[in-house]
Amino acid sequence: MNRIFRVAGWMVLGTLGAGALGAIALHRGEPLNATWFVVAAVCCYLVAYRLYSAFVAAKILALDDTRATPCERHDDGRDFVPTNKWVLFGHHFAAIAGPGPLVGPTLAAQFGYLPGTLWLIAGAAFAGCVQDFVILFCSIRRDGKSIGQMAREEVSERGGFIAQLAVLAIMTILLAVIGLVVVNALKSSPWATFTLAMTIPIALLLGLYLRFVRPGRVLEASIMGVALVLFVVVAGQWVADSPSWSRVFTLSGVALAFAIIAYGFAASALPVWLLLAPRDYLSAFIKAGAIFSLAAGILFVRPQVLMPPLTRFIDGTGPVFAGKIFPFCFITIACGAISGFHSLISSGTTPKMILRESHARFIGYGAMLLESFVGVMAMVAACAMPPGVYFAINSPPSIVGSTPEAVSATMSGWGYTLAPQTMPALAHSVGELTLYNRAGGAPSLAVGMAQIFSSTIGGERLLSIWYHFAIMFEALFILTVLDAGTRVGRFMVQDLGGRFWKPFGRTGWMPGVLVSSAIIVALWGYFLYQGVVDPLGGINSLWPLFGISNQLLAAVALVVATTILMKMGRLRWIWVTLLPMAWLVTITMKIFDVNPRIGFLAYAKALAAQVAAGKIPAEKIAETQRLIFNQRLDAAVTGVLAAMILVLIVEALVDWYAILSRRKESVLHESPYVATRWAADFSGAAHGDD
Amino acid sequence: MRYAAKSGSRFLRRFWRGLREWCGDAAYETYLRSKSTQSSSGRALSPAEFYVEQLNRRYSKPNRCC
Repeated sequence: MNRIFRVAGWMVLGTLGAGALGAIALHRGEPLNATWFVVAAVCCYLVAYRLYSAFVAAKILALDDTRATPCERHDDGRDFVPTNKWVLFGHHFAAIAGPGPLVGPTLAAQFGYLPGTLWLIAGAAFAGCVQDFVILFCSIRRDGKSIGQMAREEVSERGGFIAQLAVLAIMTILLAVIGLVVVNALKSSPWATFTLAMTIPIALLLGLYLRFVRPGRVLEASIMGVALVLFVVVAGQWVADSPSWSRVFTLSGVALAFAIIAYGFAASALPVWLLLAPRDYLSAFIKAGAIFSLAAGILFVRPQVLMPPLTRFIDGTGPVFAGKIFPFCFITIACGAISGFHSLISSGTTPKMILRESHARFIGYGAMLLESFVGVMAMVAACAMPPGVYFAINSPPSIVGSTPEAVSATMSGWGYTLAPQTMPALAHSVGELTLYNRAGGAPSLAVGMAQIFSSTIGGERLLSIWYHFAIMFEALFILTVLDAGTRVGRFMVQDLGGRFWKPFGRTGWMPGVLVSSAIIVALWGYFLYQGVVDPLGGINSLWPLFGISNQLLAAVALVVATTILMKMGRLRWIWVTLLPMAWLVTITMKIFDVNPRIGFLAYAKALAAQVAAGKIPAEKIAETQRLIFNQRLDAAVTGVLAAMILVLIVEALVDWYAILSRRKESVLHESPYVATRWAADFSGAAHGDD
Repeated sequence: MRYAAKSGSRFLRRFWRGLREWCGDAAYETYLRSKSTQSSSGRALSPAEFYVEQLNRRYSKPNRCC
């Protein structure tokens, strides 16, 4: 009887999800309520978790709870720590959820709400979650080995080296692009710049407290830190209102870029306890609070989605970033649907802390579903504002014009209503000098979040506080990724350099620390600078590059996963990882298309032809030359990354052929089976698993 | 009523314990409780030593994503 009710319940849930998805897809004309998005996403996630992840867990991975996990075998209280599955879910989610699922969907709203939302849901269920789950499982079975080590052992020695290089390259692009998001959020904004600048002394204070006063008392220090950060959000208004202080904190894009580069260098070279770790603690609490509040706000306010399901920009003429819906919608959404970077976390700390193999489904698959839901919320927040406002914030002046009247006329031409006084009034109400030319996703998301929050608490009166709270939240945890990433990049540079000259590889040798920090900062700083001086704002060229890099890293992870599944004898089911991999590679290779609306090189060639034919006005020639250079740079970086991944794929294909034709023995490099002593007598109570 | 109060307080205790584990507040206690620390004949690290050692290890590999 119970079973009948359960089946009926899942059928109702599935029907509800399908109905909500149908409403989103087929609705035309009147604005749609955001509740439909939440219902569609939640129902689809639950059904995917209940059916697809259970299928992967049972049929393909055959999770085995009688097998001791790495934390049981190596319990050292440091890396290998048995951890309650809910706590580990929180750890894993905090590690994988960064700015990507917020910024990507906000930018992809350029195509309308429909394509992005569908890819967020389907991409997560069939690709992103599967990747995270399978890699987590593979790493658990290999004592928590990293994706690079697994690539080296299971695919080839060269595969491991390629994976390491790909991670370094991707990290460089990632750090540059998120740095650019912060620059675009802070430029000409004394309030936001002051608030973010103040988080540095707050983090230093916390660092000293945690190191010398109450070592390791993270919770009490974080509570103090969060209170101070909230205070400086409010205090930012006083700074913005003071003409002399306001001048100090009003910085240009280039000045902000150099400030961020200097900060990245300091965070990488200073002791980790002083700046990086305390900032990370602050960021984790504020991130969790802001994401939870956004979900609650959307459910409470239930805003109308004003963006149409599809915009005219699916043809590749979009002002936010150039490129047709295929492949750019998938590239732009990035982490909300699938992120190669997650494979580093799934093969990093999480497998070393997991209590039982069956928890991998909840943590690997489940946490990615939640990240995708964050992406859907960002999409709702971006699409809840009038399309004219959205495009005015995210478009460069060279496309929409630089005066309120010109922007308004451009929007009218595109079919969106935007009165000339709307944007100045909105900027005034959120406490900013201007909201024009703020591509990067952060300001438009902050406006969307502020409108949702202020509809819940405070009304118009608190709009400016909420806006700057949202900006601080985004910038704070973007900088956390930036400083942690720079430090990890420094270790990678030292590791690579150490292969050629041993002393350079010693992580405690100060000259090595300084030189490697300078190298990694110079690498991403170069791309950041190129983005800042780009005539179209930089995001349009750098964000797709980041999306491509991230997807190529996902392709690396899926190649490793497919090889392991094949060696496990799951040939019948390898489509589960093979199809997402093929999809990602196909999307990326579209970048070399001859259509200028798709291919970087084709676009550069078309622009060069226009310059040669004298179709570009003299005053725009320098800008166009820079655009051409940036497109060629994008093509070169994508080409190098794609070549590395293709080498890995060819190596894997040769390996697969040899295994299938029985020319090579299929050897799995799993740790030997050890029966758990916890299955029978361990309830997990000591670790909170009760 | 008593049952609800008991369940509520049990939930809050678990939540508090989970929160401390999640943010790293309970890391030193976990270290002291771990098998290897208890079976080791050497001196256990002090809270300050453990804190710095743990941070250096954690931030030497990717632990924050995009």
